[in-house]
Amino acid sequence: MASSRNISLSRCVDRVTGGVLALFALVSGGTVLLLLWNLFAGAWPAIEAGRLGAFFTDAKWQPGSQRDPQFGMVTMLAGSALVTVLAVALALPVGLASAIFHRFYAPPLLARWNRRIMELLIGVPSVIFGFWGLMVVVPAILRIAPGTPGQSLLAGGVVLALMILPLIALTSQAALQAVPSSLLQAAAGLGLGRARTIVSVALPAARGGITTGVFLGLARALGETMAVVLVCGNIPQIPGSLFDPIRPITSTIALEMGYATASHKALLFCAGLVLMLCTALLVGWISFRKNAANPGIGGA
Amino acid sequence: MITHPIRRSPSKGLDLAIALAGAFAALLSFFLFGWLVWDLVRLGLPKLSWSFFSGEVEDAGRGGGIAPILVSTLGILACCLGLAIPLGTGCAIWLSEFVRRGSAWARLVASGVDLLAGVPSIVFGLFGMVFFAQTLGLGFSILSGGLTLACMILPLLVRTTLTALESLPADLRPAAAGLGLSKTTTTFRLLLPAALPGIVIGITLGVGRALSETAALLFTSGYSTRMPESFSDSGRALSVHIYDLALNVANGSAMASSSALVLLALILLVNSAAVALSEHWLRRRSSAS
Amino acid sequence: MNAAALHISGLSVSYRDLTALREVDLAIPEGQITALIGPSGCGKSSFLHALNRLTDLVPGCRVSGSIRLADGTEVTDPQTDVLALRRRVGIVFQRPNPFPQSIRRNFEIPLKEHGWAKSDIPDRIETVLREVGLWKEISDRLHQNASTLSGGQQQRLCLARALALEPEVILFDEPCSALDPLASGVVEDLILSLREKVTVVIVTHHLAQARRIADHAAVFWTRDGAGTLVEQGPAERVFSSPQDPDAILYLNGARG
Repeated sequence: MASSRNISLSRCVDRVTGGVLALFALVSGGTVLLLLWNLFAGAWPAIEAGRLGAFFTDAKWQPGSQRDPQFGMVTMLAGSALVTVLAVALALPVGLASAIFHRFYAPPLLARWNRRIMELLIGVPSVIFGFWGLMVVVPAILRIAPGTPGQSLLAGGVVLALMILPLIALTSQAALQAVPSSLLQAAAGLGLGRARTIVSVALPAARGGITTGVFLGLARALGETMAVVLVCGNIPQIPGSLFDPIRPITSTIALEMGYATASHKALLFCAGLVLMLCTALLVGWISFRKNAANPGIGGA
Repeated sequence: MITHPIRRSPSKGLDLAIALAGAFAALLSFFLFGWLVWDLVRLGLPKLSWSFFSGEVEDAGRGGGIAPILVSTLGILACCLGLAIPLGTGCAIWLSEFVRRGSAWARLVASGVDLLAGVPSIVFGLFGMVFFAQTLGLGFSILSGGLTLACMILPLLVRTTLTALESLPADLRPAAAGLGLSKTTTTFRLLLPAALPGIVIGITLGVGRALSETAALLFTSGYSTRMPESFSDSGRALSVHIYDLALNVANGSAMASSSALVLLALILLVNSAAVALSEHWLRRRSSAS
Repeated sequence: MNAAALHISGLSVSYRDLTALREVDLAIPEGQITALIGPSGCGKSSFLHALNRLTDLVPGCRVSGSIRLADGTEVTDPQTDVLALRRRVGIVFQRPNPFPQSIRRNFEIPLKEHGWAKSDIPDRIETVLREVGLWKEISDRLHQNASTLSGGQQQRLCLARALALEPEVILFDEPCSALDPLASGVVEDLILSLREKVTVVIVTHHLAQARRIADHAAVFWTRDGAGTLVEQGPAERVFSSPQDPDAILYLNGARG
């Protein structure tokens, strides 16, 4: 009765399963290469024509102009950088303060609800933030600063800040939660008050996690399209004040890809490459720091 | 005898300041998000009716309903999950069960997936447009859009499935090996059923991300507002509809609000499902052990 | 003296740079109970896990030497079908580890894997559950999740699950140490009842238990930073008049 099914069959099945799964894994891991390849292919005409230099030297962005085509991306790079930094600068204090409140002050029930709401909000679509910004934030700015266009660097910063606030709050919360309780007990044992413990013990210990959150926020804000395209005004210029319109790289791609033709299109792909490079640097820096913090944990 | 003067509660003031600032920040976030939701409800609710869900899009979206939009959104979602679920879970199973941890191939695949996770959605849009729509000849279609989104949520699925597999009880694998079970049997009859809750949570989160995505769909699934008849038709997703109404259609904001309210409700529903599932699962696990 | 069910010679096990077990020669007599005793960390478990190649699961683990089954199959040979081997040499672990599925599935999965006909499976389940005395207790709830059983019941289920595959040898890795005294006694009696039917190799920290059940005993000790076998023979002889100085102290309860 105790037959042994031809066991080499099981081995064969294992081989086949392993092969199929390896194929899936290669496709999953290789998608990013396929993506890069396609971006390069799309951008190649512009790179070949030597337009990459013009990216940084031309003053203006008017790729469609017949008489005087110019391909300067500096205004848009500046727009992206400014709106991203502004967003994090606005979101970090609020997110961090609410995380401290959540960890050290809030009663358990409130803390739980705070966390739950943040978890839900992290998924709110960016197009909804953008739409709400257009309906509420832009008119509010018009009221504060009459005579300006309203759609501006400030509007973009505020909307983006709102969007990345849950992300920063949650990562900060996690970082503060991960501070070993022995450390906090040691502080209490030395007679440190709660405030002193937070400022001198907890925050320094959680600095790594909070920084990771900030970088994730930067990457997310930099790559965001919908929230900014609706509220930033989309004029490619270096803003003179918070109330001037700007145009980030992502908006440019979203707005112009629909009608762009040959060489213009290639330039938009170059812009996409630049964007991807920037976010890859941010994300890469995060994982580099993580690996440096706990070496030996390889790969996954 | 010299005694140190005892300072009265040196950080009382600081403590109060931090508490107030924290409470203010927490309240501010609640308030802002409450405001956002309230505005969408205030502006969007009056237009919500059965005919809004069942009607065709009229007058560039200013009138009528969103039935074709909903159908397209579902179609895109179906294509997206159809590709992403097998690919993502397969990749995670391979990484966790079939390849030695830390081997060169495992690291290569894992870092490829991690890199993909950092790609901005508009760049996915560019990629989808060139690769799926043009190179593969799928055109501006629901299929192109869905496949593009599949690439986008792939890292999320891999990550959550991997976490689910890695957090299984440690003695499950030796138990199976001790009985002479093959890897295939172990994986598909034991590990996957046990990891299913985690995988389902991952898929739910993926659905949320796919539903909220706009930029990756602009140049892949297109703008058509007609009722799609097949996956190769162009179809406008709900999020793209909101974007178009807000940016390109004068006086479109009322209908945009209603659509945004519907989208928000969908997303909150999906994400609360994920949160509820994970809490339910955690509770069951902690009571079982 | 019976024929050997397992013939081990020159067996060494190492984990990366660390040698866990060095040069062990031992014959496991067929149909008898062999107890492996000694302090923690002296390589008993590594030895046991090498016998059905569970050492394969540990990254960086290397096994050298020879382990032959009664029919001459070489366990350490990479060409040996490890799945078939593990059917012939079963194992029961320290902590009960039923699959978190129904009790019935706990049997169906391994039985199907090893080619039992679907129609034979219910009978097979009943037979082995009777053998471990669980049938009366749980025959009406085979559909329930196995993790709802008590610790002792789970361990008996794991024994039944191993027995279901009709192994020639069953390895026990401290099978009672995670159980309360009552359940521990039940499992001990079950192991005794296996004598003559299958070959049993049991690792235990519990000297009194080893004394009660073992026909044959092997004492492991750490020498020069690696575990090794220092004393072996019929249990009675080993317990009453050990030769090795460390074994004498250990068995008299003075060390370890």
